[in-house]
Amino acid sequence: MTLEIILMWFTLTFYAAATATYAFGVTFSKEKLTGRALYVATAGLAFQIASLGIRWERLGHGPYLGFYEVANALVLCVVAFFVVVAWRNPRLSAAGMAIMPVAVVLLGGAMLSSKAGLPITAKLASYWLFIHVAFANLAFAAFAISFGCAVTYVIRVHSKTGKWTARLQKLPAQDVLENLTVRFVLVGFLFWAIMIATGAIWANEAWGSYWSWDPIETWSLIVWIIYAVYLHVRFTLKWHGERLAWFAIVAMPLALFALIGIPLAFNTPHAGIGGLGKDF
Amino acid sequence: MIAGAWRAAVKVLRSARLATWLLAFVGAWSVAGTLVPQSNAGPDVVAKWAAAHAGLEPVVRTLGFHDAFTSPVFTACIVVLALCTALCAWERTRLAVGKARILRRSAVLDASALAGDHDLEIACGPALSGDEVLARTAAKLGELGVKTKRADGVLAAVSSPWSVWGSPVFHWALFALMVALIVGNLMRASGLMGISVGETKTDAPTSYGLVHAGPLYDWSRVHRSIRVDAFDPAYRSDGIDRGPTPTVSLLDAAGNVLKTQRVYPNMTLKSGTLTIYPSDFGFTTGLTLLNSKGAETGHSAQLVDFSDTKDGTSASGSLNVRDNAGNVLLSFSVTVPLDRVGGALVRRIPKQPAVRVVATGPDGAKVLDAIVREGATVVLPTGDSLRLDGIDYYARLSLVDDGSIPLLYAGLIVAVLGLTLAVAARQQIVMATVIEGSEGTKLALKMRLWRNASSSRSEIESELALALGEDLDTKESTP
Ligand code: HEM
Repeated sequence: MTLEIILMWFTLTFYAAATATYAFGVTFSKEKLTGRALYVATAGLAFQIASLGIRWERLGHGPYLGFYEVANALVLCVVAFFVVVAWRNPRLSAAGMAIMPVAVVLLGGAMLSSKAGLPITAKLASYWLFIHVAFANLAFAAFAISFGCAVTYVIRVHSKTGKWTARLQKLPAQDVLENLTVRFVLVGFLFWAIMIATGAIWANEAWGSYWSWDPIETWSLIVWIIYAVYLHVRFTLKWHGERLAWFAIVAMPLALFALIGIPLAFNTPHAGIGGLGKDF
Repeated sequence: MIAGAWRAAVKVLRSARLATWLLAFVGAWSVAGTLVPQSNAGPDVVAKWAAAHAGLEPVVRTLGFHDAFTSPVFTACIVVLALCTALCAWERTRLAVGKARILRRSAVLDASALAGDHDLEIACGPALSGDEVLARTAAKLGELGVKTKRADGVLAAVSSPWSVWGSPVFHWALFALMVALIVGNLMRASGLMGISVGETKTDAPTSYGLVHAGPLYDWSRVHRSIRVDAFDPAYRSDGIDRGPTPTVSLLDAAGNVLKTQRVYPNMTLKSGTLTIYPSDFGFTTGLTLLNSKGAETGHSAQLVDFSDTKDGTSASGSLNVRDNAGNVLLSFSVTVPLDRVGGALVRRIPKQPAVRVVATGPDGAKVLDAIVREGATVVLPTGDSLRLDGIDYYARLSLVDDGSIPLLYAGLIVAVLGLTLAVAARQQIVMATVIEGSEGTKLALKMRLWRNASSSRSEIESELALALGEDLDTKESTP
C-alpha cells in the first residue's frame, strides 16, 4: 500500500471518528466532545489534502477522473467547507453530526472502488475542466451543509421531551438555523449555476454545441430547478419551519445523484463529473 | 375589454405561485425526458422502448415525451415562464427602488431622529451608562455577525443601496437568457459535412449530409467554403493523444484562406459566428470507370464509414453504371477491408490499400464481389472496368453558425453577477441609540433584516436584552 492510500485510510478513520465523537458529544450533552470532533475532522482533512496532493503530483492532474477521485474531491469540499464554517462560527459545529456521515459514506465508497490513475484525454484537456468540476464540488459542499443544518433543525423540532433541545442548545436559534440553511442553499445554487454555465461554455468551445439535453446536463438543470423551487417557496410563498427543512433534506441526495448516479446509470458522450474518465 | 383581459393576464403571470408551479413542472417534465428515450437517440432505441412499455407508449407519444425538449407543451411552458420572469423582474425592480430609497434615508438618520422613529426598545440595567450600553450593544451585535459603526451616539449597520439589486438583475438576466435561447434557436444553423482530404466545399445546404437551419437563418448571406488540407489519424500534442485530427481551412468567397488550423476536441476553428469541429472520419476512395477500350469515362470519390461489419467498414452510398438510355445496368458499392492487429480491426488506411467492390444487377442479384488494390482494375459484368486510384481520409465536420452565443455568454455573466450579489450582499438596517427617559435608560433599535442577515430579529432582541440587563441580574444575585 502506498503512502497516498495509507493517508486516505487515515482520513477515513478520522472522519469516522469525528462522526462518532459528534454522535457521543451531542447525545450525552458533552460539549467538550462536540468541540473535539471538529479537531478530529480537521486532522482528517489534513490527511486527505496530503493524500490528494501526492496523487496530484504523481498523476499530473487534479482529482477529477474516475469514481475514486470524484468522490474524494466531493468529500474534500464538503469537509473543508464545513470545517471553515464551524471554525468561524463554532455554534454550528454540532451540525457536523449530520454532515460528517455523508463524508464517511462517500469516502467509504471511494475506498472500495478502483484507485487506478487515469490519464487526461483530448476531450478533457481544457482549463474549463478544473473550473467546471471545482464549482460542482463547491456547490455540493454548500448543499451538504444546508442538509446538515436542516437535519439538525428537524431533530430539534421533534425533540418532544426537550432532551435534544438541551443537547443542541449550543446551536443557533431555530430561526437562525433556518436562515443559515437558506443561505447555504443560495450559495450552492450560485455555484451550481456557475457549474452549469461553465459547462455550457466549455461544451460550446470544445465541440460547438452548448446544450444537448443529455441526461447529465438535464439532471444538473433539474437539480438547479429543484433548488430554485426551494428558494421560491421560501421567499415568495413564505414557507418556513419543518417542511422547508425537509425540502433541503430531500434535495441534497438528488444533487449527489446528478453528480454521481446519472453518469453511472446513463451511457452518454458527456461524462459528467462522476463519469469523467469512465471511458477507460 | 381588451384592457381588462390584459390586466387579468398580467395578474396571473405576476403570481409567485404560478412561477413556482411552472418551475416545478419544467423540472418534472425534464425528469420524464431523461427516463423516456428521445427521438434523436435513433428510431431503433425508441421502438425498443415502445415494445417493452406497450402500455405506456401511447400516453408518452401523445404527450410528446419522445421529443420532450422540443415538444409544444414544453416550449409553451418556457415561453410562459419567460413572460412570468419578465413581469417578476419588473416587480423586483420596483421593490428594489423602494428598498434602496429606505436604505439611503436610514444611512443619514441621527440620534434624535432615531429616538423618534424606531421599531423596538430594550430596557437597560440602571448601572450602565449610555456609552456602556452602546459598547455592549456593538459587541453583542458583532458576536451575532452584525458589524456596526458608531458615530454621534448612533450605532449603525446599514447596507449599501446597491445591495438590493441582485434579485432584479438576476431575474432580468434570466429573462434575457430565455429570449436569447429561443431567438438563437430560430437563427442558428448546424450540420455535418463530409470533406475528403484536398477537397473544398462551399457552405451551402447541398454540401451537408445533415443540416438543420432555423427559420430566421439566412443562407444568402453565407459566402464561404471549407477545405480539408490534411488528416492525421492519431495526432499527438503536449503528450496528449488528440485523436483523428483534420487540418481545416476556411476560405472567403474569393477563395482566399481566412484561417487554417488543426481541429480536435477543445480546439475548434472559430471565425465570427462559425464554429467547426471534427465529428467523425472515414475513408474516401478514388475510383475511375474505364470503357472496354480502356478510355476513362468517369471519376468518383466514394465515402466509406466505419461500422460493425466483418470488414469494419460500410459504403455510404452506391454508384450506378447506366446504358445510353439512362437505365441502370449495374449498381456497385465499395468498402475498405481493415487490417487486423491482434484480432482487432485498425481504423487506418490498410498497409496495402484495397477496396472490396460488390456489384448487383438491375434485379438486385449479386454479380460481383472482388478485392481491388490501389492502381489495379476489375472488369465489371458490363464489360467496363473499375480502377482504384487511391484511398485517403475524409473528415466529417460539424459546422455551427450561431450568432446568439455572445448574447448568451453576456446573459450568463450578468445572471451570475446578479445572483452573486443576491447571495452575498446583506440587505439590512440595524441602528441603535440610547434614550434616557423617566423609565430609565433604553436602547432604541431600528431593525430591517431583509436578506442574508447573520441573525434573526428575535435572536438579536433576546441576546441584547440579556447583555444589557446583565449587570442588574449580577447585582441582584450577589449578596
Ligand atoms: C427561470 C426561472 C426562475 C429562476 C431560476 C429563479 C430563481 C430565483 C432565485 C435563485 C431566487 C433567490 C435569490 C434572489 O433573491 O434572487 C429567486 C427569488 C425570487 N424570485 Fe425567482 N426565479 C425564476 C423566476 C421567477 C418568476 C417567474 C418570479 C415571479 C413570480 C420570480 C419571483 C421571485 C421572487 C419574488 C423572489 C424573492 C426575492 C426576494 O425576496 O428578494 N422568480 N428566484
